[in-house]
Amino acid sequence: MFSAALMKQTIRENSVLWLILAAVQCLMVSTIGLTTPLAAAGIAYYNMLPGIFVGIYAITIGNRLICAKVDRGTLAYVLSTPVSRRAVVATQALFFAGSLALMCTLAATVHCVAASFSSYGASSAEVQTIIKLNLGLLALALAFSGICFAASCVFNLSKHAIGLGGGVICAFLLAPLIAMFGQNFTFLRYLTIVTLYDVPGIMASATGWAWRLAGLAGVALATYAAGALAFTRKDLPL
Amino acid sequence: MDHIIEINGLTKDYGDGRGIFDTNLAIRPGEVFGLVGINGSGKTTMIRHLMGFLHPDAGRCSIRGLDCWRQAAELKRGIGYIPGEVAFPDVKSRLDFFRLQAGYLGIRDFSRIHDLADRFALDASAPLKRMSKGMKQKTAIVAAFMADASIFILDEGTTGLDPLMQKVFTDLVREEKAKGRTMFMSSHMFDELEAVCDRVAFLKDGHVIEVADVSQFGGHEPVKEYKIEFTNLGDYQAFLSRSFAVAQRVESLGQVTVQATDQEIAALFTALADLEVRFIKQVPHTLARHFIEKYQETEEMEGSLHV
Repeated sequence: MFSAALMKQTIRENSVLWLILAAVQCLMVSTIGLTTPLAAAGIAYYNMLPGIFVGIYAITIGNRLICAKVDRGTLAYVLSTPVSRRAVVATQALFFAGSLALMCTLAATVHCVAASFSSYGASSAEVQTIIKLNLGLLALALAFSGICFAASCVFNLSKHAIGLGGGVICAFLLAPLIAMFGQNFTFLRYLTIVTLYDVPGIMASATGWAWRLAGLAGVALATYAAGALAFTRKDLPL
Repeated sequence: MDHIIEINGLTKDYGDGRGIFDTNLAIRPGEVFGLVGINGSGKTTMIRHLMGFLHPDAGRCSIRGLDCWRQAAELKRGIGYIPGEVAFPDVKSRLDFFRLQAGYLGIRDFSRIHDLADRFALDASAPLKRMSKGMKQKTAIVAAFMADASIFILDEGTTGLDPLMQKVFTDLVREEKAKGRTMFMSSHMFDELEAVCDRVAFLKDGHVIEVADVSQFGGHEPVKEYKIEFTNLGDYQAFLSRSFAVAQRVESLGQVTVQATDQEIAALFTALADLEVRFIKQVPHTLARHFIEKYQETEEMEGSLHV
């Protein structure tokens, strides 16, 4: 089902970008955690920045995992061995989802630790909120990665995969920003999956946040599955 | 099992007459089978089907009885492959690439890899990027043969190789053939195919127009051609009066080209004994010549059909 050799190679190829984005996030959450109470910093930070980070990661890595290998032709060297297409797609998906889970876990841990060392300290309720915020971020990241993964699986040219995956994610990220420019644009909030990552709701301990995250997880599951199906069935110009 | 590779009615239509159409081939175990054709004749398309990269529009192909599309991964055990367009993964050195491939193939013993790299004069520690075409090709050859596979599928395996390395490659193919391995190789270099192949299929516009037995070419044909030049016109005319099958004559040079079976050769020499001959040489019917003739013949036939 999975290929250990491919996983090793995938980790080797993609670890640099992961390390950079994880380091930037850790740096930010540790600074915020040490200096600002969660109630003041939570919405400001989680509402925008981590979404952009995981967006960048999803677009770049998504293309690299499948489509770039088809575009450049290097996948021929994997598929000429007993590694099946199904194993390729499963291994790459596992890396994608796993690396995002690790990134969010790391960021959450660093944030909690930093907050507990701050002069304000961190109550158990605050720790719970931080975990929920990062769980939501992970759900959003998985949905983003799923969209890019599907694009990567469907297209044979990197420019198409990046164009579609990147375009959709940019639109999703920009929609809530434009929605802030007045009443006429509020409808945009309902055209983006970013709204399902309800940061103010989680901060206010409102109910229903879990359902929204389930919605994001559903998007992730559907897009990963669609990508895998497309990749195992299509013609490969290798 | 009579055939190790079978292609039955294989069709892939890319539109505008591009692709392959109702192609049929059957390769015996231990055979070295060549595939020739001009660029765009469908060689790579056929090979991509064998590798399970493309799904046929109609027909099927199988290797060792396994379907090339449905059982693609399973049948890769024991297949060595050189892609038509060589692109290496993102690793630093050539050795890293071999290590990576060995990982996919489950190879632990690197002695064969080192042996092959030595034969092709490859420095294993050299960086993979910015390699010349020939260097890339040699690396691809080593990667294909490192698995010690029983079937090799080689898509233009020698492009970019210098004549010296082509010889090394030809020797390697002969060695593997001696071990009973099966080869399916495409090329547009006739001498290379003539040197190693048992049979060669001619592909034109996606159709197999002929499968030729290589043992019938390159000077081994049943009816051989000899070019004879006489020192004087008298002997030239005297020879023409005899009953030999004359294929061509050039009176100004005193040259005659005759066709003779091996049984007729004694009669030919007896006839020549009384005449003054400047030289006699055999004109081998090469694969290249045969292919060009066949190609033009098919063109003409298609032309007459379209009128």
